[in-house]
Amino acid sequence: MFDLFLTGMKIVFTPSTFLLLVAGTVLGVIFGAMPGVSASMAVALALPFAYAMDPIIAIAFLVSVYCASITGGGITAILFRIPGTPSSAPTTFDGYPMAQRGEAGKALGFSLIASAFGGLVAAFAMALISPQLASVALQFGPSELFAVSFLGLSVLSCLDSDNIVKTLISGLLGLLLACVGMDPMLGIARFTWGSSTLLSGIEMIPVMIGLFAVTEVLKQTGKPRKVDQADSTSGSSKTNTVLPSFKEVWATKTTMVRASILGTVVGILPGAGATIASFLSYAIEKKVSKHPEKLGTGIPDGIVASEAANNAATGGSMVPLLSLGIPGGNAAAIMMTALVIKGVQVGPMLVKTQPDYLASVFGSMFLTNIIMVIVAMGVAKVFAKILSVPYSILGPVIIMMAAIGAYALNNNTGDVALMAGAGIIGYMFVKLGYNSAALVLGLVLGQMCESNFRRAYTLTNGSLAQIFTKPITAVIMICCIVMLVYPFVKPLIVKNKKTA
Amino acid sequence: MDIIFSVVLGIFCVYLFFLVGAESPAATPTELGAAFWPRIILALLIFLIVVNIVKTLRQQKESGESLMAGFNVGEFLKSKLLIGMIIVAILAIVMPTIGFIPSCFVFLIAYGTLLGERRIAYLAVVSLVITAILYLLFQGGLDIMLPRGTGVFRSFALFFETKLPF
Repeated sequence: MFDLFLTGMKIVFTPSTFLLLVAGTVLGVIFGAMPGVSASMAVALALPFAYAMDPIIAIAFLVSVYCASITGGGITAILFRIPGTPSSAPTTFDGYPMAQRGEAGKALGFSLIASAFGGLVAAFAMALISPQLASVALQFGPSELFAVSFLGLSVLSCLDSDNIVKTLISGLLGLLLACVGMDPMLGIARFTWGSSTLLSGIEMIPVMIGLFAVTEVLKQTGKPRKVDQADSTSGSSKTNTVLPSFKEVWATKTTMVRASILGTVVGILPGAGATIASFLSYAIEKKVSKHPEKLGTGIPDGIVASEAANNAATGGSMVPLLSLGIPGGNAAAIMMTALVIKGVQVGPMLVKTQPDYLASVFGSMFLTNIIMVIVAMGVAKVFAKILSVPYSILGPVIIMMAAIGAYALNNNTGDVALMAGAGIIGYMFVKLGYNSAALVLGLVLGQMCESNFRRAYTLTNGSLAQIFTKPITAVIMICCIVMLVYPFVKPLIVKNKKTA
Repeated sequence: MDIIFSVVLGIFCVYLFFLVGAESPAATPTELGAAFWPRIILALLIFLIVVNIVKTLRQQKESGESLMAGFNVGEFLKSKLLIGMIIVAILAIVMPTIGFIPSCFVFLIAYGTLLGERRIAYLAVVSLVITAILYLLFQGGLDIMLPRGTGVFRSFALFFETKLPF
């Protein structure tokens, strides 16, 4: 381990590599902060720069872009309620209310510290137990992956404990939207009404941007007061990026550690990734928190749960890539492409025969997660200045940025229409007491849940008993049942305690 | 309003339940079929929608509220909110035809005016600057091919693309 650390530091502290990593971090944070530029897109945009580099430096550079872009996604999520990357969506739940209260600086501080901590935990986990973690990940077949995605869905029952029925309806609508398009197993068109546009399904990013960003601007438009006056509250507290005090950060230590471990584990699982990690972490936080009712109102724990997990997932996704040659997600697949182009044989022997690659990735993650805090703070300060712009200018710009974000995904104006529709429906949703976050959760997890369940069913020759009696699946499913039933049982327990 | 929304949603779910069954081939002993998962979701949705309707009706009965309580159609039709929704919808509709530059510029002016900005000349200048920044950043800097539009708008967009410094 110490040798690996030393080799990693030797690689990343070479002056030219150090400068490249700083540049990668700056690029990553800026790309991540732009709506519609996902982490994998950020890595793809940085790929041409990597062509000219030595493979070991190239992978370090791409890793720095990847880690920093996930962190950058949290900036616009907190300031404008536009998740820069899908994995930052849960950050909006608490980050945006904090920014609205004039605590944008503090919210950004928690986000950056949690991101750095999550990233560092994942980097050390990757360096220490990469082969072991990879072998654990290999134990996860379709039934286990179904159980993991179902665990994410089980949070639906507690996203809004005052309105469980409407939250469940919202989540189920998200799951239903995920069914639109080609059936993942047989390729049969569902709910497409003959439209070729719908065949590829409902894109998650335009829906998410519409539900969060456009809905928010519409809410401000509908307010019976002068919007400019209301938003001129953006004083110095909003434009400062003051880090939270040590005492405040220490208060979130349990959440930070839990989210980082969870993010690392979820990141390793193929097909899961940072988005599922952040949603799952937020969900678990809501379950285990001492004050779950405060989550969603703007508390640091919510930001920490989401940001630590999504950054930890970046490290996790590098584990199967380096140990087995299997990319854990889109960004990892792009990095693998860069290595393959360079003639590097990616596979189980890479770490054994050329440990410099693992050392380089570790060193890059270590360094990036530290310098990222400084770089992201600088970028956040620039973005935070935008908050002092009158809302009559800022509101339309948010919608335009959202439109570009939706469009940039596939260079398709249909996605702009989808975003606009989602924004309008999202407004009605909020007004009628439904839950947009639950809908997004259903949409994110829908296909993973369905395809893994059906795959497991086929693999076990149609035996449901075999699916649910697998040890890992059984344990996770028991957790799901406890999480689903708890909100219904909790009032009875409280009532019994009161009568006793 | 909630009841009306729930009823419409419920009817739509029932329609989808039968539609997906009719469109998909039957399940086999080892394959659940394309309709299995959506039907489970739709069945749960229909059940929960019924629960929601019953719950809301009970609450309304207790409070004595009408079906349209809390929603004034006349007020909504005259509201800034509806105009905002229409402007956003128009943006999405016209962008493929007139392209990014004109739609962004006009949208920023229209929505800015809706949000209370009365200085039209100032708004026009700011909108022009913002359009230029967004265009240079995404089209020039990030190589995202923003919508060009059709006909004369396409020629207009192509003219700008040739003038980009990078």
